[in-house]
Amino acid sequence: MDENTTCTGNECVQEGESFIRIDNLSKTYQKDEKVTVAIEDFDLDIKKGELISIVGPSGCGKTTILRMIAGLLEPTSGSISIAGRPCSGPGPDRGMVFQDFALLPWRSVRRNVELGLEIAGMPKEERKARAEKYLEIVGLQDFADSSINELSGGMKQRVGIARALVNNPDVILMDEPFGALDAQTRNIMQAGLVRILEKTDQTIIFITHSVDEAVFLSDRIVILTKRPAKIKEIVEIPWPRPRDRASPEFTALRKRILEELEKENVLQ
Amino acid sequence: MNFKYDNNNKYHRLGKNILVVLASLIIFVELWWFIAELIDSRVLPTPPETFAALKDFLANGYLNISAWDYISSSLVLFLKGFLLAFVVAVPLGLVLGFSKTLNTFVTPIVEVLRPIAPMAWAPIFIYGISYGTGPILVVFIGIFFPLLTNIIFGVKKIDPTLVDAARTLGANKMQVFTKVMAPSSIPYVMNGIKVGLGVGWMCIVAAEMYSPVAIGVGYCISNMCMSGLWDSTFAILIIIAILGILTTSLSEYLQKYISKRMGVE
Repeated sequence: MDENTTCTGNECVQEGESFIRIDNLSKTYQKDEKVTVAIEDFDLDIKKGELISIVGPSGCGKTTILRMIAGLLEPTSGSISIAGRPCSGPGPDRGMVFQDFALLPWRSVRRNVELGLEIAGMPKEERKARAEKYLEIVGLQDFADSSINELSGGMKQRVGIARALVNNPDVILMDEPFGALDAQTRNIMQAGLVRILEKTDQTIIFITHSVDEAVFLSDRIVILTKRPAKIKEIVEIPWPRPRDRASPEFTALRKRILEELEKENVLQ
Repeated sequence: MNFKYDNNNKYHRLGKNILVVLASLIIFVELWWFIAELIDSRVLPTPPETFAALKDFLANGYLNISAWDYISSSLVLFLKGFLLAFVVAVPLGLVLGFSKTLNTFVTPIVEVLRPIAPMAWAPIFIYGISYGTGPILVVFIGIFFPLLTNIIFGVKKIDPTLVDAARTLGANKMQVFTKVMAPSSIPYVMNGIKVGLGVGWMCIVAAEMYSPVAIGVGYCISNMCMSGLWDSTFAILIIIAILGILTTSLSEYLQKYISKRMGVE
């Protein structure tokens, strides 16, 4: 077995093959007689180590898709499988990073990162060492014993990322992770995420409002239509990272995707 | 620069507040004195008479029992009632906040019992159950309901994304409860304790009045009144007030301290 093969349970996946398979996913809400279709026929195959961004007009249901993948929300129909293994309900194989961080304020930075390991029943010394390793990856090794409220927004989200990484999940689901941060911190965090990707080869599904962010980070960008959300287009970005925001092809692609989204804008 | 200005302002405000509180207390005593001079001194003794009686009670006790014995007897009774309420209300509140079905089942019972004044239970508990445990149960009732409702409220107010976060990290129901729900409800438990102690302390006198074996400050009040010792009665009221202020300040301090330590101010 070569090192490009990933195994989960008794299934193995060759790099480049479909690792996460989202099949015909849809979500409808029924309130009294009225049926609202939020997501319709969402199909996506994701390769191991890929970063996929999902962009779409506001309120189109990006977060709904992510919450269904996370298992926090039951799909009306369709299925999600990772390495051939179907997912139902939340599990540590799918880490999540939240827009508003969702850190436990009564725990120190390190103890927040340890949470998943603690839940898995890892011995104290082992999880401490592991948490510290991941705090170093996100550059927070000097803040291990700080309390959450002492941190800036960017630092809080780095804790959130370390908390997801430490479990070594098959995929990390990021729900507008930098949406609550100012523009400058956002750019720093994006560059930081690119460095983390180099170190960990983590598969990521990333939801964002910012096309600039999506073009900067993604291997592929999924553009959604307005409600009921369907896939409008999938844009492949073969360029290596880190990317130059000022380059002509970067600006051209950003402009093209923005125009696509403009057409979907519900306000028009 | 800014910092210095804010600090000065803070001290300035604190000084001003102390002055206002002092003025309020002085005016209160003056008003009391003025009214006491107007009406029969058997009903309302003047401040000097009351403070003399207070001094005498603290030094010599009452009916051959020392002041400290009365006070500690009441405090022990209060503490027992509090502990009982704490031990019952905390787990019950957490479970009721957590389980919707149980909550729906228990809410009607709680809502029927809650509006009944704790003092109304006093004769029932004391004559019906026992002279010894009856008063403890009265204090228990006083503390129990505010504590319980605060805890249920706290568990319901838990940030749902914290629960989501724990679930995506693999937490089962029990782990969500122990790692997220229980700790995040602690500030609400503390708030419940704060409110409960206030109500519980109000019950202590009534709880003791009906029981011939509870020899605390409530006993002093009813006995002193019946023997016409109005100045001593008022002295006891001052003791009750001061102890009440101390208990609430202590719980308020604890609540703030714990909330701060837990990062949820």
